Amino acid sequence: MVSRRMIFAILFMLLATLLGGCADNVPASSTSSLSVAPNELIKTDQGQGTITPPASNSTSPSDLETMSVTVYNATKDAQYLVGEHHVVPKNDQPAKTAIELLVAGTKNADLVSVVPSGTKVHNVSIKDKIAYVDFNDKLVKNNNGGSASEILLVAAIVDTLTEFKEIQKVQIMVDGKKIDTISGHLDIGEPLGRSEKIIKK
Amino acid sequence: MQRIVLGLLLLMMLMVPQTTRAAALSTAPGGVELTNLRWFVHKDAVEGTSKLRLVIDVTGGVKVASVLSQNNSPQLIIDVTGGGVGKIGDSVTLDGDIADKVTFIKKNAAASQIVVDLSNAIDDSDYKVFTLPSNPGSNKSFRIVIDINKPVPKVNYNFTAGLKDKVIVIDPGHGGSDSGAIGPDGIQEKNITLAIAGKLKALLEQAGAKVIMTRETDVDVYGPNASAKDELQARSSVANDNKADAFVCLHIDAFPNPTVGGITTHYYQKTGYDAMLASSIQDQFGNINFPDRGAKSSGFYVLKHTQMPGVLVEMGFISNPDEEKVLTTPQIQQQLGQDIMQGLDSFFAQAARKGGGS
Repeated sequence: MVSRRMIFAILFMLLATLLGGCADNVPASSTSSLSVAPNELIKTDQGQGTITPPASNSTSPSDLETMSVTVYNATKDAQYLVGEHHVVPKNDQPAKTAIELLVAGTKNADLVSVVPSGTKVHNVSIKDKIAYVDFNDKLVKNNNGGSASEILLVAAIVDTLTEFKEIQKVQIMVDGKKIDTISGHLDIGEPLGRSEKIIKK
Repeated sequence: MQRIVLGLLLLMMLMVPQTTRAAALSTAPGGVELTNLRWFVHKDAVEGTSKLRLVIDVTGGVKVASVLSQNNSPQLIIDVTGGGVGKIGDSVTLDGDIADKVTFIKKNAAASQIVVDLSNAIDDSDYKVFTLPSNPGSNKSFRIVIDINKPVPKVNYNFTAGLKDKVIVIDPGHGGSDSGAIGPDGIQEKNITLAIAGKLKALLEQAGAKVIMTRETDVDVYGPNASAKDELQARSSVANDNKADAFVCLHIDAFPNPTVGGITTHYYQKTGYDAMLASSIQDQFGNINFPDRGAKSSGFYVLKHTQMPGVLVEMGFISNPDEEKVLTTPQIQQQLGQDIMQGLDSFFAQAARKGGGS
């Protein structure tokens, strides 16, 4: 009987090893997978915010269609961005709508809007996966001058727009012209890609 | 009984590798092939760092193994097992910023090699090669992904320990027509940065360093109401033209929430020494009762456009009424100067131990 018990023990150990091996082999279909963004577009959706009900009370059936956009605002400690989902009536300029929601600020008491007061969006155009987002000059004139604010503002604009799969980079503009910086720290003269690190995990 | 157990074991051992093999090499009648290459350069909005991403579509699962080669010119070589070269073609030319060209070499029907001609030599830590499974839901095939960071240029420095005879350029942030951030009591950033810069200059000169300030008074460096780029470039040029050993840019931070406070040292890793300089300085502020916000990688203009190790120190928040008040006192201004001087001294000692190259 002892020998049979031992055989069961060996069998159990082998089974465990084999099953463990199986489990290890599951990611082997994604071979030397390293700890990187699992999505090739380098984006994640870390949204965890409020949902805005559609504002429209029109009865036309097409107006009842909605779309979901994610907008980023800063945490109160000026360290991170957090995404908020908004459900709004569908339109043909979702990227501009997202930026308008960003400019409108947040109602979440745990978050802070970093967009300077008086800022307005003229236009968002998309060409070759680059979004050109054009603001009025309040974006620069009314900024509070801190690099903490500037970093979070630039990242909030870029991360909000790169939520859209047709946008990979963002060029920030004021009154139709490219700008090199908002408050004299970050170099934003070129189209910028998404910043993942600044999104609160 | 024993025979049954052994039989079961044998059966399991035979089955397991087969199921794995079947899972890895499913789909694609007529052999797995590389079909298409997409690429783009991702530039991080905050850090300013660039990364090239190559995505290769494959009709089924493959295994990849990669190695760097420095023979003649730098290359990243990826061996693909389980997939041949399909309609992807022989090669694709890139923009030459991080890599110049990708070549696909047929080994046999089920093996191929991807050769990436790199524009500059990279380290093992600068690249990642991995695969992503197919995702029929979003109409994506099996993919090979190659990420390559833009490498930090290999510049040879031979730093010596000590501050004596070192050339340090100090840039007091803002000035003249640009007040910088303004606190709730009306204190202007440009005046605080200039006051601390003066104290730091005196301390460094006592230690034998040669110090140049981008401005000694309340003026614009390029000129009043110049473009932001001209103004920032003028400051960077003072450091470059004087062949500074280190560049220290002084600022005071601001944020809409007035309770936020603390010190941050920003760097842009362009020489192999910038992160070291930033942490050497950030580690010194223990005597100041401001929160430690750490050393951070940020794509700041003056850090990207100076050629030597550089930092931009945000010495507290002027938007925080308590920190605004404290920052106007000569004692704290002296302490900040003292801490930054000690950070520079500690940096040169570390950099000297590290020796030339990076």
